[in-house]
Amino acid sequence: MHAVRNGKLCTKDCLCLYVCPTGATDTETGQIDAKKCLSGCRLCVDACPSHAISLVLDEFPAQQEKTEEIINALYKLSKSKSEQEKIAAAVEASSDDPIVRQLAKAIGTSNRLMAEDLLREAGYMLPQSQNVKDFLQSLLESNQPDDFPVDVVEKLLKIL
Amino acid sequence: MRKFTCSICGYVYDEAEGVPNDGIPPGTKWEDLPKGWVCPMCTAPKVMFDEVVTEAAAEIKTVIKEEKASEEIRGLSFVEMSALCSNLSKGCEKQYRGEESELFNQLSEYFKRKAGVSEGKEFSDLKDLIKNDLETEYPSANSIVAGSQDRGALRALVWGEKVTKILKTVLMRYDKSQNSLLENTNIHVCEICGFVYIGDEPPERCPVCKVPKMKIAKVLRR
Repeated sequence: MHAVRNGKLCTKDCLCLYVCPTGATDTETGQIDAKKCLSGCRLCVDACPSHAISLVLDEFPAQQEKTEEIINALYKLSKSKSEQEKIAAAVEASSDDPIVRQLAKAIGTSNRLMAEDLLREAGYMLPQSQNVKDFLQSLLESNQPDDFPVDVVEKLLKIL
Repeated sequence: MRKFTCSICGYVYDEAEGVPNDGIPPGTKWEDLPKGWVCPMCTAPKVMFDEVVTEAAAEIKTVIKEEKASEEIRGLSFVEMSALCSNLSKGCEKQYRGEESELFNQLSEYFKRKAGVSEGKEFSDLKDLIKNDLETEYPSANSIVAGSQDRGALRALVWGEKVTKILKTVLMRYDKSQNSLLENTNIHVCEICGFVYIGDEPPERCPVCKVPKMKIAKVLRR
């Protein structure tokens, strides 16, 4: 479990620098050095007056189990939302009217967010989960077009 | 005297109280609210309100669960794979895993390009899908989830159904007013749940997922 700093909240009060026993919080990148950070120490988390530091687990528990029936119901909805996103994108691309494009963009974005949420609840919550790894692996094992970014998928499988 | 609840944000209109701050005196009947009256909290129109039924006579809807082979349902389209990857990208970002976030983002963009752009589509093409979602898919999914302990799935369904109703009313309003709906104001989308809001400034908190307004983004006109 190591500490991370949220740059949007950090107001550079620097108390984390004072309390850190290993100097992990004082870096040139603005992020805490995970290699030096003592697992679970949390001195900087408690010292930070702007609540900009939190602890991130190195290993996460598996997502709550989903029944097949629920997963199928979520998939059916995500299909519909994705189809609607595609229609909105088509309207946006084919119109010269800035207001039509603006509305289409809003509707497309809204549908994207709903599809993301449904798929997440259907078992893809955690990026480093077995489900996600299986999905990536299945991409490599199925027929893909020539321009498929094999290197991106392989890299992900390696570092996740 | 009756009460009506906004199905989007939960605001309750009480005929006995009215909304004195908006010039609606106590005792104003639901039918007598001015034309074009909208929810003071989230601007949902009147059709989005349900009367509060005091008796526990809330009729339980029986929904036929359609069974399809899971394979058929689960084959992901390019847009869905793009959505899956864009969400995983966000999941990595939240864990401060910048490199993984960027890689998932690249995959998401790749699938989006592969999905291509359809031709000859109009806003009206959305209506049947929205209708089917609201009349069939959400009731069916809700009835499946109701008997389980899966509150995560229930949450996604509750938020999604509300947002879908909002999209339905946005399209209805656009049908009626065309471009004047947005001409002199803004449109915003909640980056968390997809709630769409038409107005100069977004509400302090999203009425659907309750996130503060800093997460409700203005959609630019270009």
